[in-house]
Amino acid sequence: MEQDFLLLLPIFFPMAAGILTLALAKAKMGRKAKLTVVFGALVLELLFTILCLMRGDVSVTLWQLTDTIRISFHVDTISRIFAGLSVSVWLLVGCFAFSYMSHEEHEERFFGFYLIVEGALTALSFADNMVGFYVFFEVMTFTSLPLVLHEMTKPAIMAGLKYLFYSVAGAFMALFGIFFLAGYGAIGSFQAGGILDASATAGHEGLLLASAFMMIIGFGTKAGMFPMHGWLPTAHPEAPAPASAVLSGVITKMGVLAVIRVVYYVIGPDILRRTWVQTVWMILTLTTIFLGSMMAYKEKIMKKRLAYSTVSQVSYILFGLSLLHPAAFIGAIAHVIFHSLVKNTLFLGAGAIIYKTGKTKVAELRGIGKEMPVTIWCFTLVSITLVGIPPTSGFVSKWYLATGALSSGTGVFSWLGPVILLISALLTAGYLLPVTIHGFFPGADYDYGSLEKREPSALMTVPMILMTMGAVALGMFPGVILNAASAAAELLF
Amino acid sequence: MDFVCNFPFFSIILAMFCGILSSVLKGPWAKRLCLFMVTAVLVMSSAVLAYTMKTGTSYTYSMGHFPAPWGNEIRAGVLEALTATGFSVIMLLSLLGGMSHIFTDVEETKTNLFFILVDLLMSSLLALIYTNDLFTAYVFVEINTIAACGLIMIKQDGHGIVAAIRYMVMSLLGSGMFLISLSMLYDITGHLLMEPAKEAVGAIVASGSYEVPLLVVIALMSVGLAIKSGLYPFHSWIPETYGYATPAASAILSSLVSKGYIFLLIKVFYRVLGYENVVSSKVINALFVFGLVGMIVGSVKAIKQTDTRKMIAYSSVAQIGYIYMGIGLGTKAGMAAAVFHIFTHAATKSLLFISAVGLYEVSDGKADYRSLRGSGYRNRAAGIAFAVGALSMVGFPMLSGFISKLMFATAAVQSPHKMVATILGLAVSTILNAIYFLRLVISIYSPAEREYGADMSHQASRKLKVASLLFIIVNLVLGLFSQPIVNAIDAGLSMFV
Repeated sequence: MEQDFLLLLPIFFPMAAGILTLALAKAKMGRKAKLTVVFGALVLELLFTILCLMRGDVSVTLWQLTDTIRISFHVDTISRIFAGLSVSVWLLVGCFAFSYMSHEEHEERFFGFYLIVEGALTALSFADNMVGFYVFFEVMTFTSLPLVLHEMTKPAIMAGLKYLFYSVAGAFMALFGIFFLAGYGAIGSFQAGGILDASATAGHEGLLLASAFMMIIGFGTKAGMFPMHGWLPTAHPEAPAPASAVLSGVITKMGVLAVIRVVYYVIGPDILRRTWVQTVWMILTLTTIFLGSMMAYKEKIMKKRLAYSTVSQVSYILFGLSLLHPAAFIGAIAHVIFHSLVKNTLFLGAGAIIYKTGKTKVAELRGIGKEMPVTIWCFTLVSITLVGIPPTSGFVSKWYLATGALSSGTGVFSWLGPVILLISALLTAGYLLPVTIHGFFPGADYDYGSLEKREPSALMTVPMILMTMGAVALGMFPGVILNAASAAAELLF
Repeated sequence: MDFVCNFPFFSIILAMFCGILSSVLKGPWAKRLCLFMVTAVLVMSSAVLAYTMKTGTSYTYSMGHFPAPWGNEIRAGVLEALTATGFSVIMLLSLLGGMSHIFTDVEETKTNLFFILVDLLMSSLLALIYTNDLFTAYVFVEINTIAACGLIMIKQDGHGIVAAIRYMVMSLLGSGMFLISLSMLYDITGHLLMEPAKEAVGAIVASGSYEVPLLVVIALMSVGLAIKSGLYPFHSWIPETYGYATPAASAILSSLVSKGYIFLLIKVFYRVLGYENVVSSKVINALFVFGLVGMIVGSVKAIKQTDTRKMIAYSSVAQIGYIYMGIGLGTKAGMAAAVFHIFTHAATKSLLFISAVGLYEVSDGKADYRSLRGSGYRNRAAGIAFAVGALSMVGFPMLSGFISKLMFATAAVQSPHKMVATILGLAVSTILNAIYFLRLVISIYSPAEREYGADMSHQASRKLKVASLLFIIVNLVLGLFSQPIVNAIDAGLSMFV
């Protein structure tokens, strides 16, 4: 295989830049100069990644770990979607953080790890086999931990520990799945439709399915899938807002990527179709969708509410994947991107509110739309997107998910799925729209006299506006994403 | 015979004479002599390793002019040379890292005694590795025990003496069993040299006579050495011993002394009793079960500890369990995994003990994990080293612990009856490991409860930093370049048969 070492650049450049930023902590440089370094690194990383994504299906082997295991990278359609998403979101949220983090301490540590995680995410998107994927999955867990721990208060440390234990437990479940399947060829390069050696697996179906299930649950931990979702509503809100945004918006998606790789590129959808694994998986995802929405509806604290919403929404994606059906797969991939844009904007909006007013509870947000109109307009538009009202993008992905479910031939789930999606959409409207309603229409007794404009700086609003525009516009022009997703789906089914 | 072939004998005798010579030297000179000896052993063992790798065979070296089946022999193959090299690296780094504490913990007039004991320990470990003679093995087992007892109580506080007595009772029980087993074996075979003894055992098994005595021999041998290496449920001496000894001694005891006995057990299994006989005797299943239980119980007890050193000590119980589980799988792959884990654990556990010292010497010498808050910032080298060691124990990829786990799991898949138990055991114990090690890592990087003076960061000794760094490198080498080592282990195990 031809070696294309340029592929290593978007993986190791941000890591190096992150370590440099950590080292700058003691340097006598102005805040501006340090942030310029971080900004430069984020922009360069975006350029490098795009450059790599445009080079076609290239590969590179980094390290021959043992005779049979190598750590190598390869670019395919799925890599393009995930890497492209993560580096663009990273730059936008980074810009927001430049302003937001000014009221937090230890900024160098935050931005250092922020950059290192970006490298790990790119590596995950590019990973070519299960072991390499696992390596960077762990790297991602451990380097994103300081983002959760950032404030170093007791709740932050407890949340960090919870995050760590869930993640490690999940990752090891997945690892042992890899160990079980290694003998059947599961550590070879990813290939659409699965790589297991059919002659070796004959007669070991029970073991195979159990391993597949362990890996789905294990990697599903990162995606907040029931029963391993407990860490998400604790850890995401504890982090500073930009970190919550990327944790919810992007890092959970790496759990999704892992499940895609396991199910569609290692084991193969045909092996799992109409087995207990698929059934249990569908039940778990539907439970998560419903449970997450209900919890979000009940939750009073803004960021926690958004975190529960993530639990629910990421399971939309996993539900789409569990149907093992092309249309649902396309819907899932589309929802990865749409949800990422939406959830990042929502968390940034919540962050902007905290930054300017210090308010964290939903009930306190009466009249906020009058004070911060741009922020709340963005918040409103992406809320509508998340509910799935046309012509926004949420409608497109949910449409594909629902039609996929209806034609998937999974018995009761083919109609139960869409029903739960609808109920959850109603709940989504129920927990997101009150912010808008009370924000713009505070009621007759609202004291307009004390109203003051508190709109945050452009550094905060522009990323939100851009992502909102993306979320809405992709609903009207979803062609690019749907084409890419169908190209991937065509190889798989 | 090439000159290199003399090196195993030279290293044993050099270590021993250094011990004798040190008795008339003052502490600092004994230290220099000891470091020189370990370095020399390292060089000689590497030469033997290179030589045996090149020739691809092992050789026996008869001591004196009595030909087999009488005389006294040592034998060197790839595995022996590799183990000797690995052990001397760990010994050197442990001494280097714990050096400053040796001189503070030990009375000034007795520092040379510490180094005498280390010299004797090194000599006996080398002898256990290289010996081809059961009785020589027994003699050095005893030397090893006495030297280890000395190392434990040389700190001369109440804890040390209690720990040493506990260690001595358990350890002598183990040696006693080993001796009884040896005598019975001598009784039924008439040999003490390994090769003729193995032939005789083969003949006995083929004829079907002495079935029960042979079973007793296998069982006593296994249990005796298991007690000495601290396999669950014979682990009661471990936490006290490792927890209260001076750091260099804890590192040496946990990484090397217990491993020396395991190595001897593996050697006896292959070279005397015949591995297939041991497997068919089912004793191996008992080792497997106790190994598994040890993995879990050790980790659970470690979680309950607040004292860092005791936590690391209980983690050793779990890790010894891993090794016995590998041996208990009863396959060559399992054995290779166990041998690799001997190296992994030796490299990682000594790293943990040494870096833990670095952490609590900047925390007013307190070792409970609340006092260690923020110590990762006060002594950065030790903090990073501890984090690396903890991650390696948890099985973070690219570190040595990951390769061990990979090898255990791969081996498990090849033995269908034990597969599920092994993999579940590995999974549960890994998660338990993660709980206590990562809790500690987070705690050393959390803000301290009170301010420590700026001079705290200077109290950390330079040697310790260097040793921590070198330990990290050893760990990375084991993690990243595992294939040559695994190949060497495989080659060495094949030479045993």
